[in-house]
Amino acid sequence: MKQIIALLVLAMLAGCASMGVEPWERDVLARADMQLTADPLEAATDDHIYFSKEATSGGRGFGGGGCGCN
Amino acid sequence: MSSKNPDRSVAAALASATCALLGTTAAAPVDAQEEPKWDFNTSILYYGEDEDRVQDLSFKSLSRRLFTDDRVLILGLTVDTLTGATPSGAIRQGGPQTFTRPSGNAAYTEAGGKLPLDDTFRDTRVSIAANWQQPAGDNGLVNVGFSASKEYDYLHTGLNARYAHDFNKRNTTVSSGIAYARDTIEAVGGAPVPLTPMLDVGDLSNRRGDDDKDVLDVVLGVSQVINRDLLVQANYSFSRQDGYLNNPYKVLSLVDSVTGDTLSRQPAPQGGPDGQYLFENRPDQRTQHGLYTQAKYNMGGKVVDVSYRYVTDDWDIDSHTLDLRYRWPLGDASYLEPHMRYYTQTKAEFYQVSLDAGESLPAFASPDYRLGNFDGLTAGLKYGWKTRNDNDMSVRVEWYTQSGDVPAGQLIGNQLSRDNFPDLNALIVQFSYRFSR
Amino acid sequence: MGSPCEVLLEAESRHAAGEAGELVAAEAWRIEDKFSRYRNGNIVHRINHAAGTPVVVDDETARLLDFATTLFGLSDGRFDITSGVLREVWTFDGSDRIPSPDAVEAVLARVGWAKATWEAPELLLQPGMEIDLGGIGKEYAVDRCAATLREHGSAPGLVNFGGDLAVSGPPSRRDAWRVAIEGQQDDQVDRLIDLRAGALATSGDARRYLARGGVRYGHILDPATGWPIPDAPRSITVAANTCTEAGMLSTLAMLRGAEAERFLDEQSVRYWCRR
Repeated sequence: MKQIIALLVLAMLAGCASMGVEPWERDVLARADMQLTADPLEAATDDHIYFSKEATSGGRGFGGGGCGCN
Repeated sequence: MSSKNPDRSVAAALASATCALLGTTAAAPVDAQEEPKWDFNTSILYYGEDEDRVQDLSFKSLSRRLFTDDRVLILGLTVDTLTGATPSGAIRQGGPQTFTRPSGNAAYTEAGGKLPLDDTFRDTRVSIAANWQQPAGDNGLVNVGFSASKEYDYLHTGLNARYAHDFNKRNTTVSSGIAYARDTIEAVGGAPVPLTPMLDVGDLSNRRGDDDKDVLDVVLGVSQVINRDLLVQANYSFSRQDGYLNNPYKVLSLVDSVTGDTLSRQPAPQGGPDGQYLFENRPDQRTQHGLYTQAKYNMGGKVVDVSYRYVTDDWDIDSHTLDLRYRWPLGDASYLEPHMRYYTQTKAEFYQVSLDAGESLPAFASPDYRLGNFDGLTAGLKYGWKTRNDNDMSVRVEWYTQSGDVPAGQLIGNQLSRDNFPDLNALIVQFSYRFSR
Repeated sequence: MGSPCEVLLEAESRHAAGEAGELVAAEAWRIEDKFSRYRNGNIVHRINHAAGTPVVVDDETARLLDFATTLFGLSDGRFDITSGVLREVWTFDGSDRIPSPDAVEAVLARVGWAKATWEAPELLLQPGMEIDLGGIGKEYAVDRCAATLREHGSAPGLVNFGGDLAVSGPPSRRDAWRVAIEGQQDDQVDRLIDLRAGALATSGDARRYLARGGVRYGHILDPATGWPIPDAPRSITVAANTCTEAGMLSTLAMLRGAEAERFLDEQSVRYWCRR
């Protein structure tokens, strides 16, 4: 499993070198609403709600949790 | 000191002298602001389930202190006040059922035909977190932190660290993170010995002391800028839990092999259960693998945020989550954001709606609906706007519904005609305010 | 200009950026060539080598001299373009080489704008006196270059000559130009300023000082005494409509020594002071 992931990462890195934008083309990507986690507080809230109501958690970041609600 | 200070006129005299020197005036008056040092993100959340189940009123804040050289301190605080009731795990019966409370010092009765709920579920939870983030070299970013939370019957402490490295003109970011937590379960009345019966009021002979669990999380991620409008991310996550993973309050009804009804028992004079219920038991280890992918796409100012997550674990639970957000600007200062989320999971191998008295006891069994087969659906709408002081406010309303079913093979006799997996409906209302100082 | 000079442009193409950049560079070199006291044959060189004879100056030089005269008055004589000769005895290299009072006194005899006769377009200096437009020239060049960008109608840009800077307009693709003010050590950022319009100038240089017997001598000299201004802040950054105003306000504040902050408060300008 680990080797597969390492290979996958390497392959992606190689493929990625040809993608992307120049530094001066980051106008859209720099916007607050284009961040991967645009609203960190809302994301933390949702992680906590679903952690306590569903059997799986995490994915975006760490598993969250740290509560006796599960 | 003279009351009329000639110094006051220096700026004005200088302005006219400069005008004469340059022969032009400035294009626009100066607009310079020192970057704010603090960024406060606060919210009040109401989470309420129907039919007197869990209600949570929560205050959350996430404060960021910006230092020079891109160093950031992030402090989080959450205070939850929980009330309401949660299913005890026992199945519905035609007549009333009496249970001993988790504390062991009282009994309560649930009306016939109703899903048995345990209404002692009332708690205040305080959670804190602190993280420090700073660049490492020209392309690296380090983040270390700790977290802790305390509620009446639970203590959590955790450490985490993350490193992200940029490649290809910062178009590719590879990150890895590790988190370790040690949690202590201080069950009310003491954690029961697994698969032993719920006893009469005052009898704590099958209760033990506190127990703990360790949780190790590892996340490896790659994010990639595809073009000016598209950003994608993929994460692999690994989680391993070790230790006490039971819910100390959940019980399984011990039922007749033919009728499927709970076996009765004679409660003691001081009170106690009138049916036979056994405390649940789960394995003391769980390993989970997850894949998370996300894309953010800008379509002429509107932003589509779509993510998919697949998680599988050695309890046999597989889950798929699809999340879709669409941010739709209304002019420069406000936006609407509809949100849809679909979740589905398969049950844990040891999920049991009840225990058949005619069969030998399984090693592991839990009636927790969260370990069953179910789908979850969330639909919500957020409205956000900028205040006159350039701060951000938003309000969102979401509905969350869970509907599941017990595998047909598990149902016995009268259970077939009862709803053994009632729907869960919850309302989520969150008001957020973000400001800088 | 004696310091790194840069222009940041938000141009549509490499070609457009190059074109605007060259216009700015041409204007900067023109001002440098004309007013640097290190160049031979320019107007400053002719004035400084006139040996007691009057020199007729052009319009632009006349405007700079008028401006210097105004500042001389506004500062009660502490801002003086003839004070440059004090450098013959003061070298701020971080050492403890403090000049003798006699040496300072001797040079001071050749300092004083009041001793010069300026009646546009003719300037007459006493023999041995010199002018140095370095205290105005860099800020003037920044404003002239920002104006060049505006006149050229090119995309918004930021002109930065050794920390004195002006923007020709707000950037279109982000909120503001983000300016880092350097701290005491190299590569250490003291504060970040978002600049949408106007200019910033900084006086004071943490690396230019002398120290002896626990006393720190900053590099801002008082032309009245020939000695460093006591209790001057280490650095002052001022925001103003033009770089010239920002630079002059920060210099005038420096010349007030311990009173620098009070002076700036009275001018109702935005400033950042480090002591």
